[in-house]
Amino acid sequence: MSTLDDFMKDPAATVRLPDDYTAVNRFFIQRGWSDGLPIVPPTAERVHAMLAYCDRPLDAAIAKMPPRYGEVTPVRLAINAVMAGCEPEFFPIVLLATEAVCDPAFNLYACQATTHPVAPLVIVNGPVARELRINSGINAFGPGNIANATIGRAIRLALMNIGGGIPGAGDMATHGAPSKYSFCVAENEAENPWEPLHVERGFGRDETTVTVVATEPPHNVNDHSSNTAVGVLKLIAGTMSTTGNNDIYNYQDGTYPQPLLVFGPEHAKTVERGGFSKADVRQYLFEHARVPLGAFSDEYIEMRFRRKYGDAPLDTLIPIFKRPEDLLIAVIGGPGKHSAFLPTFGATKPITLPLKKSDGTLAKRVQDLRT
Amino acid sequence: MCELRKRGVAAAVICSEPFVGLAKTQARVFGVAELPLIVIPHPLGGLDMAAVKSRLEIAVPQALKLVDKLLA
Repeated sequence: MSTLDDFMKDPAATVRLPDDYTAVNRFFIQRGWSDGLPIVPPTAERVHAMLAYCDRPLDAAIAKMPPRYGEVTPVRLAINAVMAGCEPEFFPIVLLATEAVCDPAFNLYACQATTHPVAPLVIVNGPVARELRINSGINAFGPGNIANATIGRAIRLALMNIGGGIPGAGDMATHGAPSKYSFCVAENEAENPWEPLHVERGFGRDETTVTVVATEPPHNVNDHSSNTAVGVLKLIAGTMSTTGNNDIYNYQDGTYPQPLLVFGPEHAKTVERGGFSKADVRQYLFEHARVPLGAFSDEYIEMRFRRKYGDAPLDTLIPIFKRPEDLLIAVIGGPGKHSAFLPTFGATKPITLPLKKSDGTLAKRVQDLRT
Repeated sequence: MCELRKRGVAAAVICSEPFVGLAKTQARVFGVAELPLIVIPHPLGGLDMAAVKSRLEIAVPQALKLVDKLLA
């Protein structure tokens, strides 16, 4: 099967509904095919248009998505992208991010089914992030930008509709999180005083990449007072130093969680002007983002720390992450004296994938993927 | 557990009540819909020893029943 027309010949591939927006939405919500918000009805015409920038076979599985292990094919993903309100030009990023979350090292099965409030954060770097105007500046994690809102939502709908991450069935989150509706940003490369995230992770500046990180929503660091590198980092270390995060919980078991520090551009520049490289930032925060053993309960100490720390005094400082190199750093956001810390699910690895054409060559712009 | 079961090893999953739906779905997805579940009250974690023992009292008879079934 190679065309959407062929796909549509299967009677199970379609459902006939009245030409009425409200009725269609009621049907989708009753079937559990929505995140609870109204969807754009995925008509054949819209799905066909969504696939205009997909140069792969429409029905070839690119991954199996847990916990249902549904096959992710471009056409299934396109249906969810239409429902989310994506423009067709966004689809290559939706596809790439979906491939990334299905990488076994990301541990999507556990991320989907866990009680923890984790969602895959999608960070887009490179020229296509700018071409699609994915917001990397003011309110980047918030509402108001069609690319951020709908790319993130398409991934969530796929996680539910293809992966089976249905609340109470395949998604057992105690609270969930608002970031589970949509969680997509671009890095603010123009305001980043260091090398961008994707370059640090081995890709060229001219490459477009998607990095997925399984995180909690951002924890804010308000620091309108410090005007030195050490001052800003001290406040960040204090905000990071919490007992109840999954990273500190998990790395006692031999994993290497990689939490994410998002610098606001102003804080980043203050720190960089103070002579700190990213490696210096990691080393400082490894040494200072620590929690005294006595801040944990007796039972927690017994279960998680006794083996490693024995009868160490209660003022022993426990690092928030296991090794300096484990901290991810990105620069995102607009003006203002704020940064953010995003602890992860813990048992997960961030994945970065480059945007390529199906022949393996670099896609420099979305047009390169036009079929 | 599903893999063990597929290889013919007697195996069961201990599962607290709210997770029974997830466990059943997963067993079906992994091709072992008949995977036995030993169901105990929630929660599973953060229990004192008395609560652990009370879970044990509920779990052990279920495990013994499964063994009986295997031997029958």
